[in-house]
Amino acid sequence: MISVKKNNIEGWLFVSPLVIWISLIILVPIYIAFELSLFNVKIIGTSGKFVGIDNYIKLFGKSKFLNASLNSFYWIIGNAICQTFFAFTIALTINYKFPGKKIMANWIILSFIIPTVVVVVIWKLMLSSSSGVINSVLIDIGLLDEATGFFSSPNKAFISLVLINSWRWSPFLALIILSGLNSINREMYDASKVDGANFVQQFLFITFPNLKSVLFVLGLVGTLLSFNIFDIIWLITKGGPSSATTTLPLLIYETAFTKFRISQAATLSIVTSFLLLLFSIIFIKSMAPKEDD
Amino acid sequence: MIKENNIKLIFLSLSLLLIILIFFFPFFWIITSSFKSPEEIIATSTTIIPRSFTLEHYNKILFNSDFFIYLKNSLIVSFSSMIISIILSVSAAYGLHKLKFYGNKFVEYSLLVTYAFPGVILLVPIYLLFAKVNLLNSYFALIVVNVLFATPFAVWMLKAFFKLIPNEIEEAAYIDGASRYIVISRIIVPLAAPGIASVAIFCFIISWTEYLFASILISGDDLKTLPVGLAGIVGQYQIDWGFLLSGAVLASLPVILLFVFIGKYFVSGLTEGAVK
Repeated sequence: MISVKKNNIEGWLFVSPLVIWISLIILVPIYIAFELSLFNVKIIGTSGKFVGIDNYIKLFGKSKFLNASLNSFYWIIGNAICQTFFAFTIALTINYKFPGKKIMANWIILSFIIPTVVVVVIWKLMLSSSSGVINSVLIDIGLLDEATGFFSSPNKAFISLVLINSWRWSPFLALIILSGLNSINREMYDASKVDGANFVQQFLFITFPNLKSVLFVLGLVGTLLSFNIFDIIWLITKGGPSSATTTLPLLIYETAFTKFRISQAATLSIVTSFLLLLFSIIFIKSMAPKEDD
Repeated sequence: MIKENNIKLIFLSLSLLLIILIFFFPFFWIITSSFKSPEEIIATSTTIIPRSFTLEHYNKILFNSDFFIYLKNSLIVSFSSMIISIILSVSAAYGLHKLKFYGNKFVEYSLLVTYAFPGVILLVPIYLLFAKVNLLNSYFALIVVNVLFATPFAVWMLKAFFKLIPNEIEEAAYIDGASRYIVISRIIVPLAAPGIASVAIFCFIISWTEYLFASILISGDDLKTLPVGLAGIVGQYQIDWGFLLSGAVLASLPVILLFVFIGKYFVSGLTEGAVK
């Protein structure tokens, strides 16, 4: 009993510096945002009129908010599908032995360690409609008749952005999946081989179930991280064409820093935090793996 | 049996080719393009092998722009963020790993969920808060935010590294009369050094690549970081591609150099049963 108590005090002592730092930087701003959302403040630093929950009621009637929520939803789904595909392809490939495996495993993560702005520069150049290498290759092999603007139509812009973002994140996710793969006991594969299992069956019945705890973290953190993506979208399309790529983060940014409707932006932030928190709680409650130790 | 191996080989070669084309070719492309003449960069017919070679873009960015000011700012912010993040997360990860205290699961999951709050949701309120306490336009503003972004995952990773250290080593030290502080500084930290190095790189990268907050919290030209400086060129109506590409290559260089030296710890740390 004494040692439990001692553990309590000491444990909190160890985590408290970080917990205090994070809580201060999250809770104080959230409180400020909540306060702002109840007023009608337009210019930073001035105090507006108290309007109660007016901002919230107005928000749900706005087509812009609904549009951005839908876009965010599609964004998360699109990224989840693309990144799962890329990340598993990379992880399963690197998991094999081949010449150059070490170099590839070390450097596959290049797209993750460079600044997002550089990612933007790379793909703006590669996908440029006038001189992009992708366009000229697609024309050369006969897939396109003439150069296309990858960011010119709503659908093309959205899909291009999902692919670019997946390009940035998949290698990192692949390494985390790889860590899960490495923790699987090799003997299980050998045993299954003796029983006549092929590699599809091995994947479905050994690999996948053993990745549960890794996939839990990826599912939770990956979804939230995808949701939060701002710079890639903003720097390439500014949310266009015709708001097709305006996700909730872009809407918040626009409302606050180009339209200067601070209270509206704060309301949006509060509603969005609430939605994400709700998602996280449901996800943890329903998917958290049971700890065996 | 042989048939299955053949299928595997075909799959492996195909996916290797795909990975190289998708994940490595773009780097070859921007690096070679940054040495091309301006005419060749925007030429409509593209060849894979460069036809021209020039250093004019690098000349311009190194000697005729604010590159070194931005570089200095990025370095200061990223290094400070990294060091603070490491100190805070090593301590927290040790507490969560070793001391099963009341509420530890709550802290652990809250840390993961913390990823929900960073990003643009906090942008407006943090901007207002920092305006109130006069923190806008300072390195510290960026450091505060970067630590917030980096630590939740850092703790998660570190906890996994600490798990790999056999309990017996630590217990033997206690029997010999070592204090908690000695155990952490002499046993835990050295044994987990590769793990800590990889977490440090992670923190550095998070800060080095951060754009959103740096673009809003900093307005003075003398305090801008590299991503913000680069984004300024991207946003221009007539993009000077050579200038932009050489800037992009140079902005990536420090993280790549860092990665050359400690990258293998980062990758092996991540992959060798770290996150479990």
